[in-house]
Amino acid sequence: MKPTEFEYARPRDLAEALTLLSKEGISAKLLAGGQSLVPMMNFRTVSPEVLVDINGLDELHFCKVEDGRLRIGALMRHGELFASEVVADACPLMHEAYRYVAHHAVRNRGTLAGNLSHADPASEMPAVMLACDATFVLQSQAGRRDVPAKDFFLGPLETALRDDEILIEVAVPVTRQLGWAFDETSMRHGDFAMAGVAVKLGVASDGSCHSTAIALCGVSGKATRIPEADDCINNSPLTATSIARCLDVVRRDIDFTESPGVSASFREHVTSVLVERALNAAYGTANKAD
Amino acid sequence: MKTIEVTVNGTLQEVHVEPRLLLSDFLRHQLGLTGTHVGCEHGVCGACTVLINGKATRSCLTFAIQTDGSIVETVESLANGTELHPIQQALQNHRGLQCGFCTPGILMTMQEFVRSGIKADREQLRELLSGNLCRCTGYETILDALEELVNQNELGAQHG
Amino acid sequence: MAESSKLDLTLEKPKRIGESVTRREDPRLLTGNASFVDDIHLPGMAHVALLPSPYPHARILSIDVSAAETLKGVLLVMTGAQAAEQAGPLPTFASAPILQHCLAVGKVRHVGEPVVAVVAESRYIAEDALSLILVDYEELPAQVDMVAAAEATGDGVLHENVGTNVAAHEHFSWGPVQEAFEGAEHVVTRKFRWPRVGPQPMETNGAVATYDAHEAHFTIWSNFSMPSMVLPQIAGCLKVAPHQITFPTLYAGGSFGGKGTLFNAPVLTAILARACGRPVKYVEDRLEYMTNGNQHGSDRLYEASLAVDSEGRFTGLRINVLDDYGAYFVLSLGSHGNALSQAVGPYRIGALAYEVKAILTNKTQQCAYRGFGGEVGNFILERLVDAAASELGRDRVELRLLNFIQKEQFPYTLPNGNLYDSGDYPAVLARALQLADLTSVDALRNEAKLRGKRIGVGIATVNERSVLSAHELWMLDRKPNFPLSSTPESVQIRVDVAGTVIVTIYAPHWGNSPETVAAQLTAHNLDVPIERVVVRYGDTDSGLPSFGPAGSRYTVMIAGAIAGASRALKEKMHKIAAHVLSVEQSQLRFGNGEVVCDNDLRKRMTFSDIAVYAHAFRLALPAGDDFNSGLVASFTYDHPYATLPTDDRSSLGVFYPIVGHAAHIVVVEVDEALRKTSILKYVAVHDAGTIVNPKLVDGQIRGGIAQGIGTALYEKYRYDEDGQLVTASLADYMIPTATEVPDMIIDHIETPSPFTELGIKGCGEGGRLASMPAIASAIDDAFSDNRLYITELPVTPSALHEALAALT
Repeated sequence: MKPTEFEYARPRDLAEALTLLSKEGISAKLLAGGQSLVPMMNFRTVSPEVLVDINGLDELHFCKVEDGRLRIGALMRHGELFASEVVADACPLMHEAYRYVAHHAVRNRGTLAGNLSHADPASEMPAVMLACDATFVLQSQAGRRDVPAKDFFLGPLETALRDDEILIEVAVPVTRQLGWAFDETSMRHGDFAMAGVAVKLGVASDGSCHSTAIALCGVSGKATRIPEADDCINNSPLTATSIARCLDVVRRDIDFTESPGVSASFREHVTSVLVERALNAAYGTANKAD
Repeated sequence: MKTIEVTVNGTLQEVHVEPRLLLSDFLRHQLGLTGTHVGCEHGVCGACTVLINGKATRSCLTFAIQTDGSIVETVESLANGTELHPIQQALQNHRGLQCGFCTPGILMTMQEFVRSGIKADREQLRELLSGNLCRCTGYETILDALEELVNQNELGAQHG
Repeated sequence: MAESSKLDLTLEKPKRIGESVTRREDPRLLTGNASFVDDIHLPGMAHVALLPSPYPHARILSIDVSAAETLKGVLLVMTGAQAAEQAGPLPTFASAPILQHCLAVGKVRHVGEPVVAVVAESRYIAEDALSLILVDYEELPAQVDMVAAAEATGDGVLHENVGTNVAAHEHFSWGPVQEAFEGAEHVVTRKFRWPRVGPQPMETNGAVATYDAHEAHFTIWSNFSMPSMVLPQIAGCLKVAPHQITFPTLYAGGSFGGKGTLFNAPVLTAILARACGRPVKYVEDRLEYMTNGNQHGSDRLYEASLAVDSEGRFTGLRINVLDDYGAYFVLSLGSHGNALSQAVGPYRIGALAYEVKAILTNKTQQCAYRGFGGEVGNFILERLVDAAASELGRDRVELRLLNFIQKEQFPYTLPNGNLYDSGDYPAVLARALQLADLTSVDALRNEAKLRGKRIGVGIATVNERSVLSAHELWMLDRKPNFPLSSTPESVQIRVDVAGTVIVTIYAPHWGNSPETVAAQLTAHNLDVPIERVVVRYGDTDSGLPSFGPAGSRYTVMIAGAIAGASRALKEKMHKIAAHVLSVEQSQLRFGNGEVVCDNDLRKRMTFSDIAVYAHAFRLALPAGDDFNSGLVASFTYDHPYATLPTDDRSSLGVFYPIVGHAAHIVVVEVDEALRKTSILKYVAVHDAGTIVNPKLVDGQIRGGIAQGIGTALYEKYRYDEDGQLVTASLADYMIPTATEVPDMIIDHIETPSPFTELGIKGCGEGGRLASMPAIASAIDDAFSDNRLYITELPVTPSALHEALAALT
């Protein structure tokens, strides 16, 4: 399984990369970790005419907390972020979710930005971004757009990224007071999720929930948050009733994927189980954070 | 075609490569280092794992052209003449191979862990090895070898 | 005699049978120096890519290769029609004419079937050329469901010359079946669905061929398992005489049976090499392996019944099975013949009925996969036994013990004529129970329930037939056109003037350990230090027959061959030594690599001494053929105990009499809400007779169990209703990783075989023959209050969810 021919460019800086993209448009694909792109190229399901290798763009290799946000540059590898104490401290939800992401060698090369740009519906990080209300910085030669995660994931392998844009930075608000949880079920360790849930929520001094964010992956065509489901949890303590109402909304609004060997009804079932578990776990950590 | 300079197993190679040439094919066919094996060409089996700048990497998902200026290590870098590297010896002692096809990928993966001096228990090591598929051994003996190597590392570290 | 210990101390005690000698195959594998097929590099070698059919069933109306032919770097493009002029249909054991060609001729019968071959300077260019080929297809009705396929007519029939998709339909009955069922106190009947899985070794199939036009000779490197066996058939296919082909031996990266019917790659590369005048390599990529490697396993629907009398004794077994063979039928009903060798399992069941319908569908065809039907038969029977225990309210261990064939009853003849040589089934089960230590399980169940987990214990006691006879492949066909009955294994042993013992074997290595085992056996037979034994591989030019590693036969067979060759060598060495030392032959014994006179220890010759005489001092030895120059012996060992079936098949003959046994006990933990099964404890006790190298056997068992875990919980080749294979990557076809396979407790009981050299029994298929029913049984037990009964694999979380939903 060998890829088709392409021209290869290795820009030395971001400006050069953006110029190339603006020139080549849809004929070009960005190469960062390559862990999602190159299999597709080897299968020949994707045949870019130009491959823009951005692995030399050191300016995009950063991970720091600034102005209340965890700012992650496009060249941060999954492995680096998983091992990062900065990440574990600023966004423990991301750290926890990384336990489920792929395998060691894939994490060595794969980048967070690349993974988000690829937008596999069963990938964990898109759900984490939605739960955290992250913002993505999309840069083109024409300028910069800051797109909230909720507007970024459009469908299976489809995002708001334009052909001339690079997702150069992911900005995750640091919300240490909020509780968090991630849970997933997959066939084997490291596989894509059959269903995955990322939750953040806050608990007020009266025990009622606020700022609830429930994000799902692996269950439908894209990572998804349902505002009405979040609202079911807000403004009251976490109870069996509020959870049940929330699950009703989830079951009503999600078009559960039927895939070979994994039925929609099974997905619906485990989603309910995982959402409930994650809500309870997040509620628990929120209390501690208070 | 482009000329790249890549250090492979300690030797600087100046070579011409077509952009689409996969690193796995470059190593195996252009350099004749056939120890690295190809099992799937979609990044799942791990048989093609090599070290690039010390990090375990699927060579079937890397283009040779990307390795310009990098250091690549393959299974051929381990043994010293006929003397097996401790990682290879550990795998043999524990019967951690049968057909041997996945073995080079496993050795290079283990090399990264052992060199990094990780501290990990058996279950953590199991997870770390989960990206290398083996159809023959059932993994237990491979884990035995890795556990011994990691523990030896710890002992070595303790004794300074 | 006290003197002897002083004189003998120069040499180490020979390493022999029962010792876990480290593998001599390892160093080259560990250093990446072993030669696998894709490592072969010849000057001028060209590469092949194959254009696969996108349709499951279609006529090929036209093929336009003109654009592909003119692409720079392309040497040759060949269609199926052109290939058919160069080579006949691929070898097959089916006597019904179900023809398969290396490239499809006239029609395609499954997705992925190759239609056109491109030979180019690189695989990259060859694949580029594929996209330039235009094929016009006329789609035909896709046969994806075996029940419907069996009824299909007209365009729905895959092979017009066969006229139906039912490739075979046979019904056998042995013993008093009707009596047993009519007189039964209890008849337990269940339906089962056995999933399509496959060997999925880490190395795919491939070949490199060269053709010497002057010599009219092919040299073909391929990673098949039985080069000497398949050579005449491949020669026939290539329309040459057998002596015109050489198959050098090659390392293979796993086979598990599948590489036994690897014909496509060697035939294709041979004709392409001949056509383009250059060496040609074709190695399947993973997608090709899955779709066109001809490497899928059994795919079955069962209805099976067990007749039980008022005491709880099993009196009859009735099996009705439909088997979806895919588009071709290379191994005929072999996987059913195989299962019939131990269809009654370890139990005294005196009546057996077996009805099988082999159905062709538009899917990849079947190969032999570790168990080759034996594992399926074991699953069905053990499931029935569990069902019987449940329906009768009996303890499943006690019910098994009651029905076991007892030690005194061996050799035990089955209703169908096959024989079990020896066994001690109660001892194996007792040991397994002891190791499993199930006393703490109840406390564990209660504690686990608080965490939302269910604990289950599964038990399976199965037989493990070994050392196949070829007639499993044709005996269910009442008119076979080629009743093959030879399954030989050869070895050549020679002693050179340095006293080194060189053993040449003719079967390839694919993860079994033929070199190590051959070295141990030779050291044992010649009483020589193992370090003095060198093992080499011979190619097919030797002419020595070798069936190769299959049906758990190799160790047993090579043991017989080595014993035979050793006897001949020792005889000659005795004669030479007796003459040179002027003693009686009877006074001489072999020990520690020397031949020594019992009465006078000063009279001794090393192997080197004797070899020098044999090679250099002819005239110092007597006249006569006994003392001809040289010190070499070859021996071909045939199956130690096999008999032909009767014409009416009232007896299938003795075809698999070397039978081991295993008891597996599995403790699982199922996350009740997520339906996810993990294995907490795995105990496997095997009886494979005398064990040559215990750690190697353990390795085979663990590997077999890992594959069994795959079949039980994770793997399946799934086709959609359009005949598309939707599990066509290693991301979708899920083999267990290190996190899915637990550490295991493995032990052995050794009940020697009365029929084999040293009492060895084969165990290569080991773990996979027992693990699936043990795991299914454990999951049932975890949900015993729901009366869950697993009838279909894999028990994925989604499948378990549906199974539990169906119970409410």
